[in-house]
Parts: sequence; C-alpha cells; structure tokens
Amino acid sequence: MKFSESPLLSRLVPPRRGRVLLLMLMGCFVALLARAFYLQTMRNDFLQQKGESRYSRVLELSATRGRILDRQGDVLAVSTPVKSVWAIPEDARLAPAGLRRLASILGTSARELTRILASDKDFVYLQRQVPPDVAARVEALRLPGIHQSREFRRYYPSGEVVAQLLGFTGVEDGGQEGIELAFDAQLAGKPGSRRVIKDRRGNIVEDVESIRSPREGRDIVLALDAKIQYMAYAAIRQAVEEHRAAAAGAVVLDAKTGEILAMANLPTYNPNNRGRLSGAQLRNRAVTDTFEPGSTLKPFTIALALDQERVRFDTPIDTRPGRLTIGNATISDSHPNGVLTVAQVIQKSSNVGAARIALGAQPEDMWGMFARLGFGEPLKLGFPGEAGGRLRPWQHWRPIEQATMAYGHGISVSLIQLARGYLAFARDGEILPLSLTRLDAPPPGGVQVFSVRTAREVRTMLEMAAGPEGTAPKARVPGYRVAGKTGTAHKLAGGRYAERYVASFVGFAPVSDPRLVVAVMIDEPTVGGYYGGQIAAPVFSRVMGGALRALGVRPDAPEQAVHEAPGGQSAPPAAGPAAIRISYPQRGLR
Amino acid sequence: MRIALARINGVRHDKNIVSDPIYREFDAALVVPAAALLLLSIVMVYSASIAIAEASRYTGHQPAYFLIRQAAFVGIGLILGAIAFQFPVRRWQQAAPWIFVGGLVLLILVLVPGVGREVNGARRWLPLGPINLQPSEPMKLFAVLYAADYTVRKLADLGSLRRGFVPMALVMLLTGALLLREPDFGALVVIVGIAMGILFLGGLRLRPFLLLMALLAIGFLLLIWLEPYRRSRFIGFMDPWSDAYGTGYQLSHALIAFGRGEWFGVGLGASVEKLFYLPEAHTDFLLAVIAEELGFAGVAAVVAMFALVVLRAFAIGRRALHLERVYGGLVAQGIGIWIGAQAFINMGVNMGLLPTKGLTLPLMSFGGSGIAANCVALAILLRVDWENRQLMRGVQL
Repeated sequence: MKFSESPLLSRLVPPRRGRVLLLMLMGCFVALLARAFYLQTMRNDFLQQKGESRYSRVLELSATRGRILDRQGDVLAVSTPVKSVWAIPEDARLAPAGLRRLASILGTSARELTRILASDKDFVYLQRQVPPDVAARVEALRLPGIHQSREFRRYYPSGEVVAQLLGFTGVEDGGQEGIELAFDAQLAGKPGSRRVIKDRRGNIVEDVESIRSPREGRDIVLALDAKIQYMAYAAIRQAVEEHRAAAAGAVVLDAKTGEILAMANLPTYNPNNRGRLSGAQLRNRAVTDTFEPGSTLKPFTIALALDQERVRFDTPIDTRPGRLTIGNATISDSHPNGVLTVAQVIQKSSNVGAARIALGAQPEDMWGMFARLGFGEPLKLGFPGEAGGRLRPWQHWRPIEQATMAYGHGISVSLIQLARGYLAFARDGEILPLSLTRLDAPPPGGVQVFSVRTAREVRTMLEMAAGPEGTAPKARVPGYRVAGKTGTAHKLAGGRYAERYVASFVGFAPVSDPRLVVAVMIDEPTVGGYYGGQIAAPVFSRVMGGALRALGVRPDAPEQAVHEAPGGQSAPPAAGPAAIRISYPQRGLR
Repeated sequence: MRIALARINGVRHDKNIVSDPIYREFDAALVVPAAALLLLSIVMVYSASIAIAEASRYTGHQPAYFLIRQAAFVGIGLILGAIAFQFPVRRWQQAAPWIFVGGLVLLILVLVPGVGREVNGARRWLPLGPINLQPSEPMKLFAVLYAADYTVRKLADLGSLRRGFVPMALVMLLTGALLLREPDFGALVVIVGIAMGILFLGGLRLRPFLLLMALLAIGFLLLIWLEPYRRSRFIGFMDPWSDAYGTGYQLSHALIAFGRGEWFGVGLGASVEKLFYLPEAHTDFLLAVIAEELGFAGVAAVVAMFALVVLRAFAIGRRALHLERVYGGLVAQGIGIWIGAQAFINMGVNMGLLPTKGLTLPLMSFGGSGIAANCVALAILLRVDWENRQLMRGVQL
C-alpha cells in the first residue's frame, strides 16, 4: 500500500474545517437569497421604472386620412394601406439568388439593390408604397434583414380629370397641393399613441396601453359633381386637341348657391403615377392663373352704364369708323359696325362702343364695380396659390386705360373670378361667395353689384350675343335658352400684344331661371381660328348642355322657338326677354 | 482495508446484500437537483437565446441553434460522466498529476498563435472540428483532482509553510500566469480558490493561511486595478446607475431583469431583457433571465438546488474521510467548493453583489466545455459516494 492511500492519514485531516467551509458557502447562498429577495420584491418598482425608460416607447398610431368625395358621394381621393420595404443593411447579406428574386419582385435591378444595401446606415428604404400583393411576395421570400412597415398611399380614382383641383399628398401622407393641402387639417386627422415595449432593435414585443386613440381624418365632400367635371374635362380636351391649344380651363358654377360644380384644366397629369411633372401640368390654372379676359368684360361696362342710367338698352352708340383714337392710341373693332344700340354693342362685341360707354363713367365708379365683382384680389376659396389678378387703383387711370378696360384689356382676372362675376347677371345683380365644398343652403354674404333691372337687361343682351345674330351662335344648347359672351384677347408677350390669343366664353342657362354659369378659356389655339365664338363657344355648349341634362334642369326652349319664358318665380321685367328680342334689331337699325 | 471495515459499527459485512436496487446505489439528494439544474438549463438557455439566435446570421437564423447545442452538450456531458464513473477514485488519484500537466499543456496551446482561437480579444478556445474546447473549464476539475492528490501526499507536511505550501503556490503561479495571458480572470479566481480550499481542508496551518488569503486578496485587487477593463467593470459594479449606458450597462440590465421578475416572474419566454438588451443572456447572465421569467421563486429554487448539490458534495466528502478515504473526501469537497464558489460568484455578479467577471453558472450556462467538466465532476462525486456505499456494505474495493 502506498503511503498516500494509507487510511491512517485521515486522522491528520482536521475534522471541523469542512464544516466551516460549508457554512461559509451556505452563508454565501443565503446572501444571494437575501439579495434576490431585496431586488425582486422591494426594489422592483425602481428597477422596473429604469427598465421602462429603456424599452418602453410611445408609438404613433397613424390616423387614416379622410376621403375626398364629390357631391354625390363618389370617391375622388382615398387612402389605401400599402407597405414600405426597408432593410437593415448590416443584417441583409443576401445570396445572389435571393437578391435577384427580390429585385424582380420590386421591379428594380439587383445592382441597384446592392448599391442601396451597401449603405453604412442602420436603416434604408428599398421601396416605399408597395402594393399589398407585392409586399406579400417579398414577405414570402423571408430574407434576413428585410422588413416591412405599414403606410398609406393616396389613390385618386378619377385620375387626371380632377388632378389639379384635388392636388396630392406627399409620401408622409400630408397634403402638398390643391384640396389635399387646403383641407389638410380636416383630412389628416390626429395620430394617436400607444405605449409599447420594444426590443433593442425596435420591434414591438408587447402592447402596454393606449394613451390616445387616433382620430381618423374627416371626409371632405366637395361641391364638385364628378359627372359634370368629366364633361368639362372631356370638352376642353377635345378643343385642345382640335385646335392644338397650349392650355385650357373650364369652370361650372351653380348659380343658385355659388358652389363650384366643375373645374377642369389642361394640361394635366395622372395623380396616381407622378413621375416627371412640370409646373404647367400641376397648376389649377382656373384659380391660379390670370389672363386679360377681353370682351367677356364688356357686359360689366354696359351694366355699370345702365345702372347709372347713363344709357338705356336702346341708346344709340356711334362706333364709326370702327376706330377710336385716345391720345396716341387707337382702339379698333374687327369690322366697322356703324351706329349700334347698347344691346348691339354686346351682341356684336364692339370695342369702340364699349370704350365710348366706359369713358362716360367716373374711374372711381368703374373701379368700384370691378372691386365689388371681386376682381383684383383673391377669392379666398382657401385654395393654395389663388391669384387676384390685376386691377390698378383708379387714381392712376388714364383715359386710354379706362377705355381698354371696358373691353377687358389692361386688367386681368382668373377664370373662376370671371365666372363668379357672371353670377351678377345670372342672379339679378347679386354675386355670391364661391364654395369648393358642398353646401346645404345658399351661403350668406351675397353682394348686390347691379340693380335687378340692370341685371335682367344685360341678361337679355347676353342671350342675344349667343343668338343667331350674335358672336357666338355656336354656344347655343338645344332645348335651353342660353346667354353669354365671347372673348378673344391678344396675349401680352414682353409687354406687347403678340399674335397669340386667349379664346373664351362665359355664359349661363337657362335664361328664364339661370341655374349654371359656365366659363371656358382656351389658351393659344393655333388651328381652326382663334375667336372665342369659334373655339370656346362650342365647348361651352357641350359643357352647359351636358350639365343641364345631368342635373335634370327643365328645358325652357323646348322647340327652339322664341316664346315667353316658362313662368318661373321671376316674372320678366317690363322689357321682357321676348319683347327685347324682337324689338332690338329693328330699333338698332334705326 | 480489513481494519477499516471492522471499525464501522452497524454495517453488515454480509456480501450477499450487494445487489440493492439501483436507486440505492446513488445519492438521490445529489442526482435529483443536479439533473433538475441541467434540465432547467436546457429550457432557459433556449428561452434566453431564441431571439438572438433567430436574429443573428452567425446562427443561420435558427431559433433553436443554442437549444440544440446545449442539449447536445448535456448529452455529451452525461456520456463523459458515465465513462468517468467507471474509473475507481484510486485511478483518478494516480492519474491526477498527469491530468493536471495535460491541462497545463492545453492552457499553453491556447496561447499559441494559430492554434488557440481568439474571440472578443480573449484567447480561450481550441478549435476541435465542429466544436471549440475551452481548456480553462476542465482545468478547474483538474485542479480539484491535483490539489487533492497534492494535499494527500503532503498531509504530514502541511504544518510547514515551506514544504507544504510553497510548491503548490508555485504551481498556482504558473497556472495563474497562463490563465491571465488568455485572459481568464474568472477561471483564475476559481482555480486558486479550489486549491486554497483543499489545502485548508487538508490542514494547512491557519495563521499563515489567513495571511496568505489577505495577500491573495490584495493581489487580486491589484490585478483588477492595473487592468483598465477590469477596473471599469469593478467600478461599474459599485454603482451601475452612474454610467448605466457605459460600464454599468450589462449589470443595470441584469438588475432590471430581477426587478421585473418580482415574486413569480413575467412567465417563461416573456423576458424583455433577453431581446438584445442584456448581453450574454444565455451564458453568464442566464440567472437574470431566470429571475425575470420565473421570478424570485425561480431564483430561490436555483439557489436551493445549488445549495443541495454543495451540501451533498461536502456530506459525501465527509463520509469518505470517515471511511479513511482521504483523497476521495478531498476531491468530493473540492468539487463542492468549485460548484459552490463558481455558482455563488456567477449569481452574485448577476445580482450586483460582486464585480462583473466572465464566469458561467455551473450546470446551467450555455457552453460545452463547462457543462462537460461539470458533468464529469459530478460523476466523480457519485463515484466517491458509490465507493463509500460499497465500503459500508463491506464490499472490498
């Protein structure tokens, strides 16, 4: 037996030391229990609070953006849930096969993805606003480091037809243009928040409590009628193509309420696929652009003179020899007209006649009328970028300016301002504030610009202008009595009038009880003429006819014959439309 | 050996009673808690690692990456344990110096560039095909085997500092130097603790022993102070909240895990801290995840099971000493010291009682070398116990 295996050795081992050591170890274990007890049952509140501050996060809950609806409830803009695909580049080390598959699903190239994933950032977007089916296919690949999150995409079912009016939202779902911007506060809603626990990489692992539930965005119901809007759009589109015009606009107003039923513009864009856009496509030119309206302003000049009783509808105005020289400038008519009545000045659209009538007015009065009509300052529709137009203060007017303003030069307005001005004739002298949104009752705040009598007289003259003897027989609408005025304005280019034109037509119908005002503007027609009567009047006719029928407005001229207006609420004035109609030509020739 | 048997009263010497049922052959109070710890280890390593395993591309995004491996490690540990159990304690004693020298060779190999494998600035691993061996883990067992053998050989000389202590001190200096080169300060503390504990049990004179303990404590403090990363860990342990996102980051998250657990925990699998907040959740800080998911009840159960293992180790050792089997007795108690001290240090670190150092929780933390070494140690412990029982039945060994 070796020494080290000898049992006798055991006597040398001190017997109590093992117990001492064991006791020390057990003491240590008791200390552990005490410490764990302290941490877990006494200090737990402090420690949990420390933990909360590290991984408890308040999460924004996005509110769904409200829809934009037309007056019938048709959807013009709606937010649909989509996904965005993002990556943590460090985690996303993809095999070439996976990379290629991802690239083909996302419709991009593997090289492009590789370039994005080479970023040293912690977070990169691979593609935003991905449709749900594409997102599902990306998810099915189960690639490491590739993640998705929910966001919204704005979809505009009516596409390019209403594009500029509606505007669009940015990628963060905020309004950037048009109605989307103007009504952003209502549409956007208020995001809510929840308290959640996130892991260190930002994934939500537990939903703790709701702090504030999101308030969904409110729907906006526009005054717009999608059907009429489409007619207006189709009509200007046809005109622009036919006449190779640079741009065009059309506005339809409800004469009873001041609601904007349609507002179409060209050129336009597809709001659902905004690739490369030019400013020209984006502009809602009916509101944001002004132009010299030309002859469409003449009825206002005449109305002022009638109102001030300077002239009567049958006062003869000498327009010979078709020219009028003021200082060193000469106003001329397109063809000499001889002596015209006031009514014929409108009907034949005589510049000289309008200028002569205007020169009888005080500049202050004329300015006051334009200002009451809302020219020279924005309408405050709430639409972004509204233009006010140019109306110089009357103190600085020279006679030539006053004369040219009489037929719409030296002054500029937007198409919507012009259309609103015509409410004065369609509504017995009163104009209304316009509304982009649907109204349940006519708004307060109408302004009486002309007397009832004046308005009705001008209305009759405008009916003549759209009649067979007027400048715009093409404006007529079968079944309805139509009134309106053409405009053909030279465009200013570099301070001089160039051989470029704006053809326009503004009118209303039915004359017996006007329901709609339609204004049409065709910018720079190059083919097939340039007169408002040739270019804009047919557009007016199509839009007005379609809109009246769409609204079910009762025809007031069923047989294209001349007889009295069907007895509406407004009885014809002493010199009723029918009477004037018949008598004017005879008197005018006198 | 006859004398020894004769000295034990009340033990039947009848050789016909050898064939007791198998459960009588093993110490249930040791086997049950140890097995429970191993099983709980597999569950908790899975729970603690599932998120990091799924998120990491090093694991190939397999959620069960660590589960599969830990289960395999436990399996390998049980097989190695079964093999170890076959060797009589006498054989272990004979082989102890050679085993220890083998361990030293492994510690040197680890330091050889191109052989040892460096992870996070520490050279602790030897790549062996699909798995990595961490020699400092079995070295703890080897230190138990060797220190016990040394003590038995020097039993008569332990009264003398020069003859009894200095040789062991030199061996420890060499071992310590190698471990510090890795560096593996935790293993050094455990191994020196084992050696000192066994010398103390063997009867090293108390006064020089205490003096030596004081010197060692000063030495350890110096080692901590001279190495910036250890010093920052140490200060971080004093007040983890003063630099909670820097040096105190890991400990503060471990403490938060304890605080969240309260009495019965947030539920198995529901830990938040394991979601990338708490580093080393499945290795050194497994207890924090247990504390969060199973609460104080879970922590108390783990502490109690370790206490049982340590109690049984000392009881088996004491009985072996009664049976005049000095080597087996010292080995058993040495294993008790090892498991107990390392468990205490790891859990103390988790709770902020002790400065942070890289020590695993025996029988529980993820890691093949550690689990295997623990299993072999328990097998040797059971062998000592089994031999005790055989002797008490009068079986001649």
